[in-house]
Amino acid sequence: MTAVVEKTERTVREQSARRDESRAPWVRPLVALVVTAVFAVPLYLVVVNVFKPGGHITGSPASVPWPPTLGNLKAALDRPDNLYWDGLINSAEITTVSIVVLAVLSAMLGHYLARTRSRFARVTLLVLLAGLMVPPQVILVPVVRILRLTHLMATLTGMVAFNVGYYIPFGVFVFAGFIRSIPIELEEAAALDGAGRWRTFWTVVFPLLRPATASVLIFLGVWIWNDFLDPLIILGPVGGTTVTVGVYRALGEHQSNYGQLFGLMFLAALPVVVFYFLLQKHFVKGLTGGAVKG
Amino acid sequence: MTALQGSLPGTPQGSPRSARKSARNRRANLGYFLGFGAPGLLFYACFVFAPLVLSVGYSFTNADAFLPNTKFTGLHNYVKLLGDPDFRMQLRVTTILTLIIVIVPNVAGLAIAVLLNRNGRLYRALRTVFFVPVVLSSVVVSVVWQAMLTDGGLLDTVLGSMGVRHPPGWLSDPSIALYSVGSIASWQLLGFCTVVYLAGLQGVPDELLEAAAIDGAGRWTRFRRVTWPMLAPALTINTVMLLITGFKTYDYVQVITHGGPGTGTTATVAYGVIQTGFTENKTGLASAMAVLMLLIVAVVSSVVLRLLQRREVEL
Repeated sequence: MTAVVEKTERTVREQSARRDESRAPWVRPLVALVVTAVFAVPLYLVVVNVFKPGGHITGSPASVPWPPTLGNLKAALDRPDNLYWDGLINSAEITTVSIVVLAVLSAMLGHYLARTRSRFARVTLLVLLAGLMVPPQVILVPVVRILRLTHLMATLTGMVAFNVGYYIPFGVFVFAGFIRSIPIELEEAAALDGAGRWRTFWTVVFPLLRPATASVLIFLGVWIWNDFLDPLIILGPVGGTTVTVGVYRALGEHQSNYGQLFGLMFLAALPVVVFYFLLQKHFVKGLTGGAVKG
Repeated sequence: MTALQGSLPGTPQGSPRSARKSARNRRANLGYFLGFGAPGLLFYACFVFAPLVLSVGYSFTNADAFLPNTKFTGLHNYVKLLGDPDFRMQLRVTTILTLIIVIVPNVAGLAIAVLLNRNGRLYRALRTVFFVPVVLSSVVVSVVWQAMLTDGGLLDTVLGSMGVRHPPGWLSDPSIALYSVGSIASWQLLGFCTVVYLAGLQGVPDELLEAAAIDGAGRWTRFRRVTWPMLAPALTINTVMLLITGFKTYDYVQVITHGGPGTGTTATVAYGVIQTGFTENKTGLASAMAVLMLLIVAVVSSVVLRLLQRREVEL
């Protein structure tokens, strides 16, 4: 009896909740498709124009590239100044080294700050998190002086060192929050078994931090790859270029030649976009972890 | 606790044995700090904390890359800036841009999140599209939009084929360019807001919405009274993120407009700091601008954060 009542009640509820929708079920998908299509116009333009001969781009920008040509990509890859390949190697090196060092150092620092109960640790955490909102423009002038002083200006090492310092607040923010949710008893048990702090951290704690490590690697990887101002200033005109800065440098010379510029842009964005499509779930999880907890 | 016990000699814990123990403890803590805390903090100290202190220091001097003797000039740079029409213009541009960037992606992101808050392959695919600009570099986004909006660019070509003869100068008209930059930034940031709002919407229990429907609440009332209050944390995150991002807008200006058209119609404070510090090499003046910029960001974002969090509790 109650089961029947519950069942009808549920049907009524569902019906009333979805009443508006069931009257015209095609409205929402149609609106969603149209809105998305309008939003995606710039993305569409990049993709079609990469495969179109240069002259056709300004003439008929929105047309489908048929037959498609790989000329623009080839032109971007075969530039005599090797802009794309140099940039790709530098970007890959800077990004990989930076995020690995950042993951290790911010996990350890996050552990120290989450597990130490002293005024010093509390104040340090606050000072560190305040760094999350410091715009790079505010510190770049003195940063350049410091890098000159240490002979790291216009070097990849200097670029990596700056990245580690500038992005470590984000890493600590993610790791410290995550470490607090791991019961300390696990570490105490390992300590009783005679493992030192170092061994406990790397064999017991760090493997448990995998979701946090994934977030840190993914977000910092994308940010550092896409970074514009910092490498523009720190690497300067002589310290080499990253793919992102390379697109900017190519912009000046190609005002009229959109073809090669689109090719270069496509190649610069490709690694990040592929990375995003492969790891989509992690992106969303990393972003929304905080949103749901509030 | 152990440290405290060791420091109280009158208590039984103050015996030599536990004093030795606490000394060992302190040494262990120092080792913990040096091994785990210090390396990361060293980088932060060198590349964020020390530069911040140095910026404040420079801002009270006439430091200049081309002048050998730097002198202490007190508040001179700050006084100069407050009376400088260029700097005031930069503040104005930054304020307008930040307002656009805080409002447009927030509102549009919420609308799109509500629109796409359904299960199924179609909606999942559409959600993916909105996030793509977020992972693109702002340089790439700038170049695409410049190719579209420049005079005689892709947009004008499309408009021309639709019969529009004299389209406005999206990037060349001084009264429009700033809004074009704001739109470009909003387009790129929209997907971030959508994802955060979608997560918030997923947290609204269906039972609550159904109960409201049974009580006769229409679609708008259900949204206004049930869904919207539950999105308060998402609104806080988006607003603060957009505020901080909007205030430091630099890339679009550097790539697309160089502060123009005309004089400084799109030059933000962030752009001004880099121009003054690296093109004009006026270290002292640029530092004063940077310090003011940081103060404004810090004060505005903490006030807004406090207000929005208080609202979260009240709802």
